[in-house]
Amino acid sequence: MKSIKGIFRGNTGLKLKKGNSMNNTSFKENMTGYMFLLPSLIVLGLFLFIPAIMSLYYSLTDYYMLTPNLTKFIGLDNFKSLLSDVQFRKSIVNVFQFVIFIMPIQVGTALGLALLVNKSRRGTLFYKVAYFSPVVMSLVVVSVLWLYLLNPSSGLLNEVLQTFGIPAQPFLSSPNQAMYVIIFVSAWQGAGYQMLIFLAGLQNIPEEVYEASTIDGANKWQQLINITLPMLKPTSLLILTTTLIDAFKLVIQPMVMTQGGPLNSTLTPVYYIFRTGFTDRQIGFASALTVMYGGMIIIFTIIQRKFVGEDTND
Amino acid sequence: MNQRGKSILLMSTALLLGACGNGGEDNASKSDEVSVWVQYSEESAEGQVMAESVKEFNETNDLGVTAVVEYIPRSGSGGGYEDKINAALTTNSLPDVITLDGPNTAAYANSKTIQPLDDYVKVSEDFLPSIIEQGTYNDELYSIGYSESGVGFFYNKPMLEEAGIELDSLPTVDDPWTWDEFNTLLETLNTYYDKPVLNMGFDDQSEWLLYAFSPFVWSAGGDITNEDGTEAVGYFDSEESVEAFDFIQNLVEKGYSTITPVDKGFHTGEYPLYMSGSWTVQELDNEYKDIDYGIMPYPVSPDTNELVSPTGSWAYGMTSSTEKPEEAGALIEFLTSEQELYDMSMGNAVLPARQSVADRMLKEVGEPMQVLIEQNSKTGKARPTLINYPQVSRSFQEAVTESTYFEQNQDIKALLESKAEEIQNNLK
Repeated sequence: MKSIKGIFRGNTGLKLKKGNSMNNTSFKENMTGYMFLLPSLIVLGLFLFIPAIMSLYYSLTDYYMLTPNLTKFIGLDNFKSLLSDVQFRKSIVNVFQFVIFIMPIQVGTALGLALLVNKSRRGTLFYKVAYFSPVVMSLVVVSVLWLYLLNPSSGLLNEVLQTFGIPAQPFLSSPNQAMYVIIFVSAWQGAGYQMLIFLAGLQNIPEEVYEASTIDGANKWQQLINITLPMLKPTSLLILTTTLIDAFKLVIQPMVMTQGGPLNSTLTPVYYIFRTGFTDRQIGFASALTVMYGGMIIIFTIIQRKFVGEDTND
Repeated sequence: MNQRGKSILLMSTALLLGACGNGGEDNASKSDEVSVWVQYSEESAEGQVMAESVKEFNETNDLGVTAVVEYIPRSGSGGGYEDKINAALTTNSLPDVITLDGPNTAAYANSKTIQPLDDYVKVSEDFLPSIIEQGTYNDELYSIGYSESGVGFFYNKPMLEEAGIELDSLPTVDDPWTWDEFNTLLETLNTYYDKPVLNMGFDDQSEWLLYAFSPFVWSAGGDITNEDGTEAVGYFDSEESVEAFDFIQNLVEKGYSTITPVDKGFHTGEYPLYMSGSWTVQELDNEYKDIDYGIMPYPVSPDTNELVSPTGSWAYGMTSSTEKPEEAGALIEFLTSEQELYDMSMGNAVLPARQSVADRMLKEVGEPMQVLIEQNSKTGKARPTLINYPQVSRSFQEAVTESTYFEQNQDIKALLESKAEEIQNNLK
């Protein structure tokens, strides 16, 4: 959205410079601008705006997947029943648990890794590739691999724990541990991506600033706190926002690893929406869940920007 | 407009058209064609048999029609194929004949996706009762299963003998064990091997848990709903159902079975016992040839002594939108004829859907498969035909899973009461 607005703004700027008269050149240039916009508008429209508007509409109907022709408008009934939906509430609690833990863990790990591989030493490339490789693997593959490692009776992880005298853990089959395991796996899988963005941010910090601080007698730690972190703030904001939105969309890991179990301890809203819509065929109700949950994510993103992003408008 | 503008416009138009291109697809076939959608690939064992069958139908039928099969492989849980059916429903482009998973019969029939078969298909008495039960909704037959499935208790012969069990003493379909006798066997094995001895697939939190565990409830005299499928309270939380879940919980609580089984544990000699279906026979015979095994039937409730075993399969249905019901009916009748079902069951190593095929196969298959076929035709029971089957099944699955977390769920009665209520809310 933001980028589109930006382009429009650029366009008006152009018009003002040329004066207000709608002469031939400015019309042509405007048209060219709109033409550039058209492909993305079409794609966004087809796959984002239209579906969003449709789910808004479906959320007010009793659309049952097998009887699309009998769909009736039922007003806010879906929203009334979702307010008392225990499973939806449970899934919201679960995803918050996920978000609260994954944000510091994943972003912290990414920053740490970026700082480690930033300095060009021997073998840095190897580490960069190693840290980044989980990102390019499909989430489904990663989840299945971890399923094997985490198998309570025959998995590698328990074997290792036991050689150190730690009793075997139930991991994904325990309602108390399953979500933390998913948090760990997700952070492991995702951190490489944020590492790369942090790395780009780090390399944008001019070397002179560090040199100046060294002359002033700053040690490495003081440089990190007073130079690196503040100068990474715009990058951090981007990372925090995208990680937050991604975290709220958690679905593949529980779908593959636990099917939302045990005892619904890893049921997430997106998984619940998928299940309601496509397994239970209640498209109307699933749309209402989507609208509700989408609204919640938007609100949280705005709140987060208010907190983290206030002084980064430079 | 300059050259660049034009090319961008062209590109966008192409994109737009490309994106919409699929919407216009029309499945309404030509006048002498009957279209069929199936949920497996052409290369699969089922697909090869199907291709042969359809070829034969096209050559021999006297209606002058040609059947055209479209193979739409499904993902593990039925994904891809059912998505296609759902999409076709919104665009009104279903074929004449579809395959459907048995438990979907009620939902498809109620939504008039498929129509009753009685007027177009002569339904033979030869079909197993479970096949008819599975395909019947509101007293009319909507779908015909083309194979059956069943579950038994695989046992590793040397491992049982080593623990001092006489193989001759093991139960048969005509003389099954009660839960108590079964528990005695488990106790002996558990003491001898000092670890869980039975893999029941508790880690498979899916349809398996209703499919394989509901027979315990039925054997005890309990049920999921009443016969009309309108009430669950008073049925799923009845004394009898509670007994069955007590039995299930006890298996985990005593350490006989485990909720975290080793993958392929039976295949590799980790567990002497394995509750699984006919597909495992195929797996063992092809890939784990050194496992010497047999199959015993389900244990029964000591109160009723009634052996009940799970059934269910994919089935053929005729869409309501078909313009050629006569021809579509003829095709379904042909595909479910004795010879075709024999080919399908033998080719795919699955259980037969007709008694005559069962009798024929009994002479040709190994002993383990014989037990499953016999158990199936004598004791098989279909899963309930309910419109909101997915939701009901999930409540049942959760009941099984929760009962295996025995420390948190000692009160089975309370657990089943809450699940019965959940199920009740999904019946209409």
